[in-house]
Amino acid sequence: MFLSKIWFILVALFAGVSLSIALTAPRPMVQKLEELEGQRLDRAEYATEQMLKVDAHKWIDRVARLGRDAVLAEALDSASRGSGELGVQHRTVQVRIQALLPDLAGAGIATIVAVDANGRVVARVGGDDDKSFGENIGGAELIDDALRGFLSDDVWGAGGRLLRVAGAPVLSKSRDRIVGALYVGAETGAQFAERLKKNLDVDIALLLKGKVIASTIPAEVLSGLPDMVEQHRQDIDNLKRTPALPIDVGKETYLAVAAPFPGQASLQKAYYVLIGKKPAHADMGSLLASTSARDLKWGSFPWIPLLVTILGIIAVGLFLQRFEVDGPMQRIRAELRALVRLDGAKLDDHKYGGGFGGIARDVNAALEHVSIAMSGAHPLGNHPPGDAPPPGSAFAGGESHFAQAPRAAAGPPLIPGLGAPPPPAFAPPSDEPAPVTAPAQPAFGAAGAPSEQDEDAHIREVYEQFLATKKECGEPTTGLTLDKFSQRLHDNRAALMAKHDCRTVRFTVYVKEGKASLRATPIK
Amino acid sequence: MTTMTSLRTLVPLLLLALPLPALAGTVKGTVRVPDAVRSGRMNQGYWRLENGNVPVRPSAKKLGTVVVLDGISGTHPPPPKTVTVEIAGLSATPRFVVIGPGSVVEFKNTGKITHELSVPADETLMPVERLNPGTFRHQKFGVPGGYLVRCSEYPSLAISVIVVDSPYYAVADDKGAFSIPGVPDGKANLKVWAGGRWAHQESIETNGKDLSIRIESAKSANQPEAKDTEGMGTGKEGDSEGKESDPKGSAE
Repeated sequence: MFLSKIWFILVALFAGVSLSIALTAPRPMVQKLEELEGQRLDRAEYATEQMLKVDAHKWIDRVARLGRDAVLAEALDSASRGSGELGVQHRTVQVRIQALLPDLAGAGIATIVAVDANGRVVARVGGDDDKSFGENIGGAELIDDALRGFLSDDVWGAGGRLLRVAGAPVLSKSRDRIVGALYVGAETGAQFAERLKKNLDVDIALLLKGKVIASTIPAEVLSGLPDMVEQHRQDIDNLKRTPALPIDVGKETYLAVAAPFPGQASLQKAYYVLIGKKPAHADMGSLLASTSARDLKWGSFPWIPLLVTILGIIAVGLFLQRFEVDGPMQRIRAELRALVRLDGAKLDDHKYGGGFGGIARDVNAALEHVSIAMSGAHPLGNHPPGDAPPPGSAFAGGESHFAQAPRAAAGPPLIPGLGAPPPPAFAPPSDEPAPVTAPAQPAFGAAGAPSEQDEDAHIREVYEQFLATKKECGEPTTGLTLDKFSQRLHDNRAALMAKHDCRTVRFTVYVKEGKASLRATPIK
Repeated sequence: MTTMTSLRTLVPLLLLALPLPALAGTVKGTVRVPDAVRSGRMNQGYWRLENGNVPVRPSAKKLGTVVVLDGISGTHPPPPKTVTVEIAGLSATPRFVVIGPGSVVEFKNTGKITHELSVPADETLMPVERLNPGTFRHQKFGVPGGYLVRCSEYPSLAISVIVVDSPYYAVADDKGAFSIPGVPDGKANLKVWAGGRWAHQESIETNGKDLSIRIESAKSANQPEAKDTEGMGTGKEGDSEGKESDPKGSAE
């Protein structure tokens, strides 16, 4: 079975290598997909940045146009000089702005604020506090810039909200001095996130002061996002964005690219985070889960090579099985049947190799032993050809080709002082010394013990055979009297009967290493 | 006569025998602050354009650049005092203070806007606390160093508190010129506070003579702390361009 074992090892190796390839091969693909998703997020980040720039420029243009309005200029000039009532100027400016921009929401604007040249709020339009005015907001960089003559934008984070703002100076009617400033603000929250998601096909989260203030994914599952972004502050400072970072959102894994908002909100940990789904894991479960029926169609899957390979492996295995197992087994069965028909004395164990050779030799040894054990009452050779084996013999039982030998044939104990211990009943024949002769078995009753006369006769017979064998072997026989011999065998028999709980003990004379020896066999 | 002659001989000898006082000189120079600080806009958005009709006015804000010489042996820090910073709307006056260790700064909100002041870099020293209109907050600064107090809601509102343990410091003028007179000779550590952070630091040797230093600092407070000294260079040369500034200027 050597080849079968080699084949089994080869098949196992082949299966192992195939499984390793199957599990490893998708990983580079998943890495590539991750890389592509990261690039997609990078492009989305670039697009977002451009969108923010365009929005800022659009609002700067709008507020600059408003800043050239003569009515606004006159009212703010008046407020800056401190002439007239601020309440009147407040209403004038508010009404004028509402007239110029009747649909703030349509323009994507949340609020417009007009300040005089001293930075004092004259009027607000839009928002919840459009009735308040008079406070000084000079000092805000955007307002100071506008009052100096700059048109600029900024991002503010106050009250847990992000506001993108754009400011411009209001010039006097003669266009020779600055009389105030205007700024517009656009709420940057859920609506902005939805707009980005719609345009860029990525999820968005907006962070401010370490909290998620708006997102297209439920904010509660993004609780770890602010900390994760903050850990990459160095990347953000250097590159103005993070690399694609894996984040766990519930049971899903996503990739996220975070970038800071510009302006003073950058001091308030204000970021927008673009989130894309990470490709599925490459483990076996995920692979099978993502397999569809289309993948198993004839055109998509190499069914024929796979079937040919499997059939080839099976064919080689079956051939080796036939060559090394089934063939020898059939031959040995045929020989055993021949033995049952008394068409031969033993198996030809030279024909068989490996395990079957060993079995053949064991069977031969068993046959030999049984033949010895049964030589008295039921000598194997006395059966006429074609007779069925006697009940209880090694060959009883019809279909059983390897029936266990009778218990009586089991390894007999050594008779101390009279010979070496005999080998086990089914020991290989090479170790088994050939028996010189087998004394006749006593004809016991079914359950009765042999009579004393039978025992004496048996011992006498054994004594004679032992004496003769010793002479044949050239051993001295001086002092070996029947009385001594009989006494010793009686003692041994008694000890063995007590030990093995048997009816009697039969002794056999045999030659071992050129000397006469005795073997004791307990009879149950 | 004999006595007078003896005195005439003895006095110069005594004068020679007395230990000579340490020589003192003036350290002066110019500081070129980061562009963002000079522009008056520390945190820019995407766009900043001139209006095209009216010339842009210079920023009304002072730069708040302070040059400090410390590590001079035998000097005493300025005595502790209480300085009031008034916050009206979104602006603070003064925007920076230079005080001795143990001094107290009183932040007084006289405007209509609620602020939340803290030292973001050291919130254990000054944690975020609400400062409602009409209220004030006292904060003691015991350890020498530079502290930027900022409003977390309106971060453009920032107050520099520079605690010095040496009387040798000066506030640079609008052109960046500074002058520190009476500096004893020896080694000193020159530090420049600009744009809300220590923008430059170097060891100098004063030898009783006047020393002119040109410091160029290209970084602002919003740039990474880890790269403090990157991009900064100094050049020591004669510089008579800068005006002398107030060496005692403790507040703008």
